[in-house]
Amino acid sequence: MSSQKLLLENAHIEGIRYYDVYRKNGGYRSVEKALKMAPDEVVEEVKKSGLRGRGGAGFPTGMKWSFIAKPEGVPRHLVCNADESEPGTFKDRYLMEFLPHLLIEGLIVSSYALGSNVTYIYIRGEYAWIPDILEQAIAEAKANGFLGKNILNSGFDCEIYVQRGAGAYICGEETALIESLEGKRGNPRIKPPFPAVKGAWDRPTVVNNVETLAAVVPIINIGGEEYAKIGVGRSTGTKLISACGNINKPGVYEIDMTISVEEFIYSDEWCGGIKSGKRLKACIPGGSSVPILPANLLLKTAKGESRIMNYESLSDGGFATGTMMGSGGFIVLDEDQCVVKHTYTLARFYRHESCGQCSPCREGTGWMEKLLLRLDQGQGKLSDIDLLWDIQSKIEGNTICPLGDAAAWPVAAAIRHFRDEFEWHITNAAEAQTRNYGLAHYADPLPVSEPVAV
Amino acid sequence: MEQKIMIQFSQEQLEKVNQIIARYPEGKQKSALLPVLHLAQEVFGWLSTETMDYVAALLQIEPIEVYEVATFYTMYNLKPVGKYVFEVCQTGPCMIQGSDDIIAYIGERLNIKPGETTEDGLFTLKVAECLGACGYAPMMQVGKFYKEHLTKEKVDAIIAECRNNVSVNN
Repeated sequence: MSSQKLLLENAHIEGIRYYDVYRKNGGYRSVEKALKMAPDEVVEEVKKSGLRGRGGAGFPTGMKWSFIAKPEGVPRHLVCNADESEPGTFKDRYLMEFLPHLLIEGLIVSSYALGSNVTYIYIRGEYAWIPDILEQAIAEAKANGFLGKNILNSGFDCEIYVQRGAGAYICGEETALIESLEGKRGNPRIKPPFPAVKGAWDRPTVVNNVETLAAVVPIINIGGEEYAKIGVGRSTGTKLISACGNINKPGVYEIDMTISVEEFIYSDEWCGGIKSGKRLKACIPGGSSVPILPANLLLKTAKGESRIMNYESLSDGGFATGTMMGSGGFIVLDEDQCVVKHTYTLARFYRHESCGQCSPCREGTGWMEKLLLRLDQGQGKLSDIDLLWDIQSKIEGNTICPLGDAAAWPVAAAIRHFRDEFEWHITNAAEAQTRNYGLAHYADPLPVSEPVAV
Repeated sequence: MEQKIMIQFSQEQLEKVNQIIARYPEGKQKSALLPVLHLAQEVFGWLSTETMDYVAALLQIEPIEVYEVATFYTMYNLKPVGKYVFEVCQTGPCMIQGSDDIIAYIGERLNIKPGETTEDGLFTLKVAECLGACGYAPMMQVGKFYKEHLTKEKVDAIIAECRNNVSVNN
């Protein structure tokens, strides 16, 4: 089954990175259309589309836009979050590298809807070659009258600037991003006030992910109602999935959120199956912070239904037996992978990226990393597993920003579903240094009536 | 050993700084700090206290405001680094594709550990956390660009290419 493409349809056209080719293929029509509408009508279309934030949180974009405060005489800003740093996620990079004009087009329409005359793209510093691509696209759009003063004689002025970060995962959190944009450390702010009221330089600000803003283009082109017909339930439109790990065809795919996880992993159109004919052990389907699931719970929900690649189905069963769509960073582990070691690398990542502002996160991530390293090296104790559980539960919900939760969830889920593998690293410490635990029962069919341990 | 460099942007670089400042609201020139630190690092190689103080003066902010930012973000070098910095990603998706072996191999080839610089000042090896190239693992960043799908052979070729560049430019 082929999925409808709204974002990447033209990604493989030669020269699509440049204005002339992009324009010839229908580019910038949404700007022409939107600038003839009232800004609120554009917001209304986005609301009707059901578009949900593609950065990970899945918050309805139209609703977020409608929260922006409009005090008299105070400039408002749109900021594009291109700080993509969640392990497993590399979709925004693909969009910006291959279709920079799609993002710029989406930014112009969205800036118009929100009344942002100066819009920023905050891009992670390591993507050091991409600002050149974006700045060229901006210059081309400007030379052709789609940016600058009085765009298409609408009276609307807009400039877009690119700012590079400098290496900090936390700056993907919107208030940390704003702090960073202001030239400060990326310490998240306490909300409220929300950025929509007091954001960059205390001005009303909306921060949206790259993919979210690119999706505004097809929404305006085909209309919000048509867009909402694609997909299923509250998972409307298409979603970019960056697939990696032990699969035959890693890469960025656009799906319409109706295909099953099984089809996505095994079909030649998508991941092409597990590499080297190995068996699937586990998967983190939405970026490193969402719960890892063993193969059986990934492919079928606890109710025995086929799991679908959308917001609702991936979270079916809550954290006990489900996971999350997150950012769409799809990490696949085969039977040879060690869940303890993998979880250790994620714990190390979150310790490294904690801004240090809140004690539960600053101290807790360090403890989790040390305990997991000890377990991985065969020097753990059984009580370490309980201690890990205790620490993660004390981080979750006790921090200013969601990084605390993001650090806690992978550890909690790994223990929840792979506890026997953790125990084996302790009871069979020497053996665990020479081989991996393997597939065990993780791919067994799950009986429908089996009670689920939390 | 350490050559004393005059910490002073050229006229052209100063113009660039002013262009960056102009992107932000008036009086909010501190917002230009991250981009200006990137520029300073590009020009002076790393961020010495002297460099940070210079940037503070340029942006009319306190030196401490620069230090606290420079120490927060991983991309700013607070000590001198080699001409080529290999930053190898070691997070989950790269780990399962063999990043540990790549880190060990580079260390062996250059006879340095992560965080160290070769005696000739050519190479620095660093480990990095997720660089957003998970589908093309294992990988590393070298300067502005990513080197992906790394193998030992590819690492050898990259090292040779760097050495070659240096001898050509000298």
